[in-house]
Amino acid sequence: MNTNSHGHSLAIAGGVAALAVLPFLAGNAYLEHLLVLWMLYALLALSLNIVIGYLGELTFGHAAFVGVGAYTSAILSTQLGLPPLLGLPMAGLVAAAFGLVIGYAALRVVGPQFAILTLGFGAILFTITNHWVDLTRGPMGITDIPPMAIGPLAFDSARPTYYLVLALVLATAWLCHALVSSRTGRAFLAVRENAPLAASLGINVFHTKLLGFVAATAIAGIGGAIYAHYIRVITPDIMGVHNVAALIIVVIIGGRGTILGPILGALVYIGLLESLRVAGPLRMVIFAALLTGTVVFLPGGLVSLWQRWRNSHKAENNLPATPTGLPSTEGGAK
Amino acid sequence: MNAAAQEIPAKEILAVSNLTRIFGGLTAVRDVTMTVQAGEVVGLIGPNGAGKTTLFNMLGGSLPPSSGSIRFDGTDCTGAPSHVMGQRGVSRTFQITSLFPSLTALDNVRSAAYRTTRAGWGASILRNAAYRREEAELRRKAMDILVFCDLDHRADTLADAMSYGEQRRLEIAIALAAEPRLLLLDEPAAGMNPEEGQRLVEMIRRIRARGVTVLLVEHHMRVVASVCDRLVVLDHGVKIAEGAPAQVLNDPEVIRVYLGREPVDA
Ligand SMILES: Nc1ncnc2c1ncn2[C@@H]1O[C@H](COP(=O)(O)OP(=O)(O)O)[C@@H](O)[C@H]1O
Ligand SMILES: [Mg+2]
Repeated sequence: MNTNSHGHSLAIAGGVAALAVLPFLAGNAYLEHLLVLWMLYALLALSLNIVIGYLGELTFGHAAFVGVGAYTSAILSTQLGLPPLLGLPMAGLVAAAFGLVIGYAALRVVGPQFAILTLGFGAILFTITNHWVDLTRGPMGITDIPPMAIGPLAFDSARPTYYLVLALVLATAWLCHALVSSRTGRAFLAVRENAPLAASLGINVFHTKLLGFVAATAIAGIGGAIYAHYIRVITPDIMGVHNVAALIIVVIIGGRGTILGPILGALVYIGLLESLRVAGPLRMVIFAALLTGTVVFLPGGLVSLWQRWRNSHKAENNLPATPTGLPSTEGGAK
Repeated sequence: MNAAAQEIPAKEILAVSNLTRIFGGLTAVRDVTMTVQAGEVVGLIGPNGAGKTTLFNMLGGSLPPSSGSIRFDGTDCTGAPSHVMGQRGVSRTFQITSLFPSLTALDNVRSAAYRTTRAGWGASILRNAAYRREEAELRRKAMDILVFCDLDHRADTLADAMSYGEQRRLEIAIALAAEPRLLLLDEPAAGMNPEEGQRLVEMIRRIRARGVTVLLVEHHMRVVASVCDRLVVLDHGVKIAEGAPAQVLNDPEVIRVYLGREPVDA
């Protein structure tokens, strides 16, 4: 038991060290840019995973909250001159406020009905962003967004931004790990697994879901703001369905309900997206096929491959197997 | 569970008055009045469709009554939702197996201990002393409950992967993890073989010894007769008899209700 958790800590330390040196191995600005995108997607997927993986509800509205965060910080910095560093928490707060209102309305229903409601709310936010030209400049988008800066430290290129997002990914991974190893997170899993039973044990199902939804939207908003200050231009497209689909694909392919899964899924997604560039629009077909294949053949996602391997390994040595499938309170990166 | 053991006997923990539940044109529970004293094991019996599960659903808060009232531990709980009843100390098992399928047995029990724990997400982020103390305590308590339900050797097994008998015991472990004052068991012996049934009887006895009041719906008359202090009989939603097991099971009306539908001795 003890050596095992020791092994885990070592593996995590090794993984973080590898992530820290990656930009130096990348060697060129283009690859560094891809690393930033990987971390951004990992951050957003980790937040979406709170809803899909821990609460077990599918949401099609996540990209809208990313957009709310991006627009909040972009507008505050370009029109009011607010420093981007202050825009970041504001983006999280405003996205969370939207999440609270939308979650309060939509979480009354569950399953496909909830998913469809989030799709509707997402479409409404997209439409408003597209048409409220005075505030958002509509389809033209907001340009000349200043880069993120902490004092004299400007995140105006890929490498420093990578470290900024990496830090946020690690912090979010810790938040998620802390969640599932707490009373609160165990209530999330109980609600996912069996809501009537969870309620009979004193868990307020609606409040639990609302908490998870708001936390997820707050992180999505912060991710959106980072994106806006990195790319320096945003359009309503950030809220579009392709981003919704991308995030869901990342979470499912990587492994929902785990911490490593969304990070791994983001790597696969960005890697394939770039290497399949020649395939053009066909890429989305390939992703759809991958998603379907994962759901059918590997419901636990890529991370469950590792668990399968470990279990077969243990079986050879007559050791007790650990469960595969949706990993539970052990999280993904423990 | 331990604190309740010192309870003064003959304290009324549950009082149901004129409880009625109507589904469309069907009155599933009609004007039922009954009480349960703290520390008692009360059997609720009656043929299929008598309204036993419907009564449980109302007591557990998952179904609002059409009329009548429910008092639990001196507080009016009529129409209180499920999580409020759970918080107040009413735990239940369900007639159809109900657990957290893709969690391990240990995590099933830990998740179920929601009511008895305090340190939440924030404490977990900070890993403060309160969090570490509570988690260690929770793990110990959860293992105790698994030992109690003879499932400790299955602690790391997914609920999904357990045998039927183990799953039924895990359901009781889940209900106990909430440290209930009143435990509602809906046909816990259904589908069990006689040996498993006997084990269940022992378990209910030990649950009661821990000071938990039990309301038991069961068709296995041997189980009912050997653990219950008192029986309440429902038929077509109406309470038709109440009293000591030996007396109730020899009541001609009760025998008439059971004969021709299913054997009294299962
Ligand atoms: N949700 C429901 N909607 C309609 N009728 C119901 C519902 N639940 C139970 N009933 C009916 O109420 C009656 C009592 O059912 P139930 O409480 O399950 O009986 P028991 O548990 O004693 O077998 C049955 O006739 C059943 O069909
Ligand atoms: Mg029933």
